[in-house]
Amino acid sequence: MIGSLETEILRFLSEPSEDKFEPLALTVFEHQRRKNPVYASYCEFLGTPQRVASWKDIPGVPQQAFKHAELRSFPIEQTRAEFRTSGTTGEGYGKHFFQSLRLYETAVQRCWDFFQLPRHNFVALMQHPDDAPFSSLCRMGGFLTDFQRECFFITRNGSLEIDRLKDRLSEREKPLTLFGTALAFLNLMEQVPNLRVKLPPGSIAMETGGFKGSGREIAKRELYDRLSGQFGITTDSLWNEYGMTELSSQFYSYGLNRPHRAPLWMKFLIIDPNTNEEAPSGERGLLRIFDLANLWSVLAIQTQDLAIAQADGGFLLLGRDPGALPRGCSRAMDELLQLVRG
Amino acid sequence: MRLADRIGAVASAAADYPWLGDLTAENILRWIKLELGDLLREGEPPEYGRQRCLAQPLSPILHVVSGNTPHAALQSLIRGIIVGAKNRMKLPQGGLPEVDGFSLRLPPALRPELAVQLDPSWARDAEAVVVYGSDETVQEFSQRLLPTQRLLAHGHKISFGLIWGSYDRMVVDGAARDVFVFDQLGCLSPQFYYVAGDSEGFASLLAEHLEELCLASPATRRGYEIAAALRGCREEWKFRAATEPGVVVWESTGTLDWVVIHDPGSAPAANPLHRTIFVRPMPSELESAVAPIRPQISTIGLHPVNLESVRQAIRLGAQRVCRIGQMQNPPLTWHHDGWPTLASLVRYVDIEGMG
Repeated sequence: MIGSLETEILRFLSEPSEDKFEPLALTVFEHQRRKNPVYASYCEFLGTPQRVASWKDIPGVPQQAFKHAELRSFPIEQTRAEFRTSGTTGEGYGKHFFQSLRLYETAVQRCWDFFQLPRHNFVALMQHPDDAPFSSLCRMGGFLTDFQRECFFITRNGSLEIDRLKDRLSEREKPLTLFGTALAFLNLMEQVPNLRVKLPPGSIAMETGGFKGSGREIAKRELYDRLSGQFGITTDSLWNEYGMTELSSQFYSYGLNRPHRAPLWMKFLIIDPNTNEEAPSGERGLLRIFDLANLWSVLAIQTQDLAIAQADGGFLLLGRDPGALPRGCSRAMDELLQLVRG
Repeated sequence: MRLADRIGAVASAAADYPWLGDLTAENILRWIKLELGDLLREGEPPEYGRQRCLAQPLSPILHVVSGNTPHAALQSLIRGIIVGAKNRMKLPQGGLPEVDGFSLRLPPALRPELAVQLDPSWARDAEAVVVYGSDETVQEFSQRLLPTQRLLAHGHKISFGLIWGSYDRMVVDGAARDVFVFDQLGCLSPQFYYVAGDSEGFASLLAEHLEELCLASPATRRGYEIAAALRGCREEWKFRAATEPGVVVWESTGTLDWVVIHDPGSAPAANPLHRTIFVRPMPSELESAVAPIRPQISTIGLHPVNLESVRQAIRLGAQRVCRIGQMQNPPLTWHHDGWPTLASLVRYVDIEGMG
């Protein structure tokens, strides 16, 4: 049963279709409710019926729940992978368990296909996944680079390999794909303030993670202006990946003031925080994400990020609500770098 | 303006603000006497040991106030007026209408200068700077000042209550009012109660009383950011209620008016305020439980108030101890954050050889 459900989702990821999302989402929900006792308790607490009529009725688990419970929809002994949040809040870290990473990997690859993102000549401003086994971001980088160590420019102990990176950036023949947390880019710009290169046409930079909780923050526009200036690419070649350890897929946007979007296996709702109901069209609210690839934990995650739905099917991210506790893989990476630099 | 006139003006203006407490001329005089004796009076300097002494205001005083309660802003201003200082106040973004209104009730000579944007010369010229706000705000101001300028910093504070033994309806009602007043945003607002005995029963009753108070005076619709923080907290704890024994959540229906969370753990947790109150069983190691927040402790509300419970609260680091239900009503003469409120705003001038 579970094998076939995973296969079914894998098939959907390769051939997504709007009309098949809902039946598959409802099947995953029922499966998770049966197999995930923690989620079952939560649904019962909320009074959610065993069968719901729409994917919108599937209860979203608060993102923070991953810090308090093991949301596992398979037997514990079959755990093959574990990703952890950065645990910067003092309340410990959240854990996301996987029986298999096939869905995770396929979602990453298909997402990049969907947005026609280049995967050649990677410059990953992150650790190799072998050096950070609990980082979902590093694993993602691994999948996108076939785990080639030479693509990764942050060492096991967290220092940026500046000289090797400069050499890599000076190879001008083929377009490059730079990928790292916003803070890793910021650290690079601070450590090499006079860095000025003109990356070949077709190059992109993908940043993720934000700055919350780091004690350092610059506006996205300023970051993009600096990245654009230092790497010689337009701001439309700068991408943002919006993801989280608790999910298996990601949303993407490019340039400034453009919405985040995702392929058909991800949907979202904007929830009015005052009523906990779906917000009226055009109103801001909390983002609730439905990710079919999240088969091994829970399909629906209630985030603490504010957003506004857009007419094109995406959402404009307004950022993490200021009251939310700071968190983020970006912070963990930044702390590591700060530590190394002393 | 003479002291008696200043006292009269403050008492007159404060009469329209009953939540400031009993600020009559008589009470203000008593307050001055308690903190400064006769040192503030005009005329011949009074004897003070082997010399004579006068208290002179630090002036001008810059008050940097936050937007969470107008109460603290007006208290600070009143203290400055009473000691005879010239007062300047940096208001939060959005201003504080209560401060504007109070100022207009004062004679022109006593009115403070008010501004939302801080004029750098205000910080430079101030002999004393009173700062209310986040630890970051306090830190920022402390770095700007010279060692000769006196900084009175009121940074982040945490207040809470201890309920020992049996309690009646009055205690629960008082506990609910302490949470309710000022939307729980003041430094004196309790963030949690430790309850000896049936903590869950206390939490349930507290929820009933908060519901009654909020029905009579509902909160306005929260802004998105605040609502998001409150929603996030509620949903997280509801998840925990569904999955952890002993966690129970009571909440206002269909609104974000209030929430009571029974947490069987002992450690203080992040609280988004706005009538979010945690109730926890009294820890066996109370001092260890509150040790992480000891430097930030302001008021500890008690039931009952007796020598034993007061001593316990002092050991925990309380700067003020009071009865549950009175946490938001400090007396005029209280030592805000542990300091004398008037005496901190003056310099003493010692006069020798005058006879």
